[in-house]
Amino acid sequence: MDELELLKKDWQKKDGDYPKLSYNDIYKMILKKSSSIVKWIFIISLLEFVFWSLISFLLKDSKSMQRFQEYDADYILIPLAVLSYVILAYFFYLFFMNYRKISVTDSAKVLMENILKTRRTVKQYVAFNLIFLVLSVIVVLFIEFDKDQLLINQAQQAAANGEAFKFYATIIITTFLLLALAIGVLLLFYWLVYGILLKRLNKNYRELKKLDI
Amino acid sequence: MTKDLEHNFVELLEKHQNIVHKVCRLYTNNYDAHNDLFQEITIQLWKAYPKFRGDAKFSTWMYRVGLNTAITLYRKSKRTINTQAFDSVQFKISAEDYDDTEEQQLKLLYKAVHQLNDIEKALVFLYLEDKNYREISETLGISEVNARVKMNRVKTKLKTILNP
Repeated sequence: MDELELLKKDWQKKDGDYPKLSYNDIYKMILKKSSSIVKWIFIISLLEFVFWSLISFLLKDSKSMQRFQEYDADYILIPLAVLSYVILAYFFYLFFMNYRKISVTDSAKVLMENILKTRRTVKQYVAFNLIFLVLSVIVVLFIEFDKDQLLINQAQQAAANGEAFKFYATIIITTFLLLALAIGVLLLFYWLVYGILLKRLNKNYRELKKLDI
Repeated sequence: MTKDLEHNFVELLEKHQNIVHKVCRLYTNNYDAHNDLFQEITIQLWKAYPKFRGDAKFSTWMYRVGLNTAITLYRKSKRTINTQAFDSVQFKISAEDYDDTEEQQLKLLYKAVHQLNDIEKALVFLYLEDKNYREISETLGISEVNARVKMNRVKTKLKTILNP
């Protein structure tokens, strides 16, 4: 006999061998909290939105930003701020709509797709923030070189000593190294958190997709 | 209203709880993990219950939610690593059914099924539950042809696990 048929016969025969939970046991269970990955993704995603919004708020109020006010750089800072809010709202809306689409009664494949889509929205938001961060640093560097008296004096001094290139290169390279380090740490963190959380889902989704090729 | 809903749900689940136990049996390998998964599936069923429409059978609907929870939503707790053989704990073989070779074979088969990946387990589970390929394909979200092809591959895989 086919192995599976043998197993099926036994499987169906064992129908009475399972534990029997009482009405009260089950009732108690529905009062407990879920610990599904969807719940974790939702919590972590919300934290990410809060984290990046806080970062932009804190940066705005920082001392160096207040000094910026004196440089008449509003023409560039205000559009940047507005842009970042519009994009936050857009991503949050997308995230929320995708999240609402997640339904445990869909087929396994659709369910996985919807979870991954929700995740992707947050990933794109984070990518946007990182790009925004790099762009902001470039803009800030330009404005500093252009308006910061202290920096201008130092640059002139360096130029007088014939070290203008070294001066600019040091500042630019240091800034970018720090930026790369910060981004590296963040990406490592993401890789760890989502790697652990989504490892199984990704594996199963790949398996299901492989079946439909 | 909520009380009614709760009452109906708990009663239905109490009646059909075997389906959940069977999913747990396939996807976990010890008593604690079994209970853990049972708990999560129950919560997911309960959360989805208000949207449950009578046009689907409650048991059919349970297969889908149960498997989705096991394959996708459930985060295996650390306890699952403890691989105490679940079958030996939970299922005592009754004396009259005892047949040495067949029993040995079945033991090996259950062990082999436990070695399959999550998706293969889902296919086997639905097959053991006598679901047809249409239902299997709808539950997993793949085409019927591909469900059949995969099922044949799983059969071969089980054969190889049993007779290396």
